[in-house]
Amino acid sequence: MSPVFQGLLLVGDLVFLILIFVMVKNGRLSVRFSLPWLGLGAGMLVLAVWPEVAKILRSLVQVEVVSNMVFIMLFCFVLLVLLILCAVVSEYNERLKRLTQVNAMLEHRVRQLEEQLHRTDR
Amino acid sequence: MKVLVIIPCYNESENICRVVQRLKATCPDVDYLVVNDCSTDDSARILRENGYNYLDLPLNLGIGGGVQSGYLYATAHDYDITVQMDGDGQHDPQYLYDVIRPVAEGRLDMCIGSRFIKKEGFQTSFMRRVGIRFLSFMIRILTGQRVLDVTSGYRACGKRMTALFAQHYAQDYPEPEAIVTAICNGYKVGEVPVVMEERQGGVSSIRAFKSVYYMIKVSLALIIHRLSAIQKGGKG
Repeated sequence: MSPVFQGLLLVGDLVFLILIFVMVKNGRLSVRFSLPWLGLGAGMLVLAVWPEVAKILRSLVQVEVVSNMVFIMLFCFVLLVLLILCAVVSEYNERLKRLTQVNAMLEHRVRQLEEQLHRTDR
Repeated sequence: MKVLVIIPCYNESENICRVVQRLKATCPDVDYLVVNDCSTDDSARILRENGYNYLDLPLNLGIGGGVQSGYLYATAHDYDITVQMDGDGQHDPQYLYDVIRPVAEGRLDMCIGSRFIKKEGFQTSFMRRVGIRFLSFMIRILTGQRVLDVTSGYRACGKRMTALFAQHYAQDYPEPEAIVTAICNGYKVGEVPVVMEERQGGVSSIRAFKSVYYMIKVSLALIIHRLSAIQKGGKG
């Protein structure tokens, strides 16, 4: 890895990590969802500072080129995040459904009480 | 015995008045609840102006979410039997007591009004019948029970089933899944013959292009339901 590329990786990764922290601080990203991205940033940082780690991993999984291994790892990470997001959306969908139903029942109750009140006023 | 008829309604402004009036005239001793699933037509105004008993969902939840709202309402108001009846006028209320009777007598926990026992009245299109037969076959394979009209929305449930459905009910195309849920939880499910009519106005929510999605989604859901029941040690 050339020193220029290594420097670019380091700077890019630090910007990425700072961006995550800023988004969490501004409330645009919850701590819960920032964790996988912070983990990714930390992993990238390790690889940028110690490129030998990638070479060791490559030899462990017997991949010819280091970059291929990094891309496979990233692809798997993104797939995992997408799967987790789908699960979270499903959970929120269920909660939204229940909230909508309870809201409709409360609105029905309010309407009934208003009608009762209206009849009593007459 | 308190009976609640749940009438899901999505863009049924052409039918809903006729459906409710017919129900009130035919079965005056049962309560009803129209669930307006955030219709984009005049349904909400019609329900309000006619003073009907209705729930007004602020978001469109689909047929399952809408019907489940009815089950929630039934549970909250302690109804003994809940009956689903479509808001498009396909279900004739003169068969309501036939559908309720097996549940009221304790012979069944869920009784489905089936158009395929006597094969009278509107029998739906050929392609839909093929799909229904396939789902019926799947339910027979998965649960061992023969149910002919698996997509019929004309069905009565007892108190325990109502409580179960108030908690767990599929959001879209829920009818076949509900049957598997009921059988796998050890409830007795059966059918009685009814005559259905063609929808009296408006358009069906299941269009041709949705059919493939429908079949895949429902088949997968049935298999998953069955596998979950086996894991929980449910009836097999």
